[in-house]
Amino acid sequence: MAAYALSIDLWTLASSVLITLRNSVEGFAIALLASLGAAYLYFSRPGLRPMVYALNTMLQSVSVLAWAIVLTMAFGVLSPIPPVLVTAAACLPVIMSSAVEAVRAVDERLMDVMKMLGASKPQAFLNAVLPASVPSLAAASRSGLGLALRISVVAEAFGSSGGVGYMMVRAYSLVVPEGVMAWALILVALMLAMDLLVMRRVVEVAEAWRLS
Amino acid sequence: METVLRVSGLRKSFGGVPVLDRIDLEVSEGEAVGLVGPNGSGKTTLIRCVSGLLEPDSGAVEVRGTLGVVFQEDLLLPWKTIYENVELGLRFRGVPEGERRRAVFEAAETLGISEYLGMYPRQVSGGTARKAAIARALVLGPDLLLLDEPFSGLDLGARSALSEALREIRGRGTAMLVVSHQIGDLVGVADRVYAVTPRPARVRAHVRLAGLSPEERVRALARLLLGSSPGRGGTPRSPL
Repeated sequence: MAAYALSIDLWTLASSVLITLRNSVEGFAIALLASLGAAYLYFSRPGLRPMVYALNTMLQSVSVLAWAIVLTMAFGVLSPIPPVLVTAAACLPVIMSSAVEAVRAVDERLMDVMKMLGASKPQAFLNAVLPASVPSLAAASRSGLGLALRISVVAEAFGSSGGVGYMMVRAYSLVVPEGVMAWALILVALMLAMDLLVMRRVVEVAEAWRLS
Repeated sequence: METVLRVSGLRKSFGGVPVLDRIDLEVSEGEAVGLVGPNGSGKTTLIRCVSGLLEPDSGAVEVRGTLGVVFQEDLLLPWKTIYENVELGLRFRGVPEGERRRAVFEAAETLGISEYLGMYPRQVSGGTARKAAIARALVLGPDLLLLDEPFSGLDLGARSALSEALREIRGRGTAMLVVSHQIGDLVGVADRVYAVTPRPARVRAHVRLAGLSPEERVRALARLLLGSSPGRGGTPRSPL
């Protein structure tokens, strides 16, 4: 495995890691934005709350495999889009649950203050609800980004657009088990680096902000 | 003087348990009115009904002009500075920045918190935070300010400074309804005081303080308190 790992040229390593990172971050960003949208709907339209819950349950019940197959068929194996969308679809229920829960837990009295100050729904969301939800959202994002990395690798395995997942499948096809292991270890290193260098710091900052 | 607040026959109950029972009271333009009653008697419920946050079961609330509300807890946004907290209502109304700035500094000066405007709520004392919450309501130029237990949790010095600030606000023509469970807090502030019974709150008595000397005010409030009968909510605390 060490020999295989050493045989991977720097260009292949860097481009594969970058593709996986891009797929994960883009998919995660889409999931985060959609979750914030769902959280806003939950906050501003109480009548739509059952729909938000139903959508979340529905998304949770769809397998990553199903998303990967359907989206690869829809966009084609060479398209860079399926890994991003599969990642987004898989991360969405995790982040959405936390975002909605965070909104639900916001102090009702803060909402009274917003009403008395004449805040519109978007103003109250941006000035009170969203900032109050930041620590929960940061914690959810930490696990969401980790999930995004794992899911994007699965989605890459179904296409031919590159990435760590694609390289793992290629090594598998060529019957090079040490290749599969080497790329799996590269993925682990990538996840650790992302968590230690980025997400842990984000959560620490959000937590310190909450305690202040 | 015109009446800015008229509450008549207000009733409110929660789950069949009556909290407010036929409350009648009035506040005139530029007048500071106190409402005193034991803890848990329903004073906060009354404030919430008057401010429109709760729908009464029956009765009427008529407010002439605009309303500012200061809640029992300061409820400042911890992620905003005192300045940003105070100007929030003006921002929501789309008031231009220069005008907002002027209004914030004026309110801060009235309440003596100008030097704290750049700080976050966690960095200031309870008394300053309370004044910031009052300033946040005051910048909107309300005709009537509702204050729910503004003195609670403050030490003697902060209470005295807040009394002075409230007198200044009243002096500028803003009417106030100040709710408290400590009758002593209202001695230097109120022109009239209503006393309510333990839950369900009902106006039991009412005394006029305007024009009285400090000693006469104390005596009048003591008489108001002594006229009370201990009820389910417990005996009211010592007046002074």
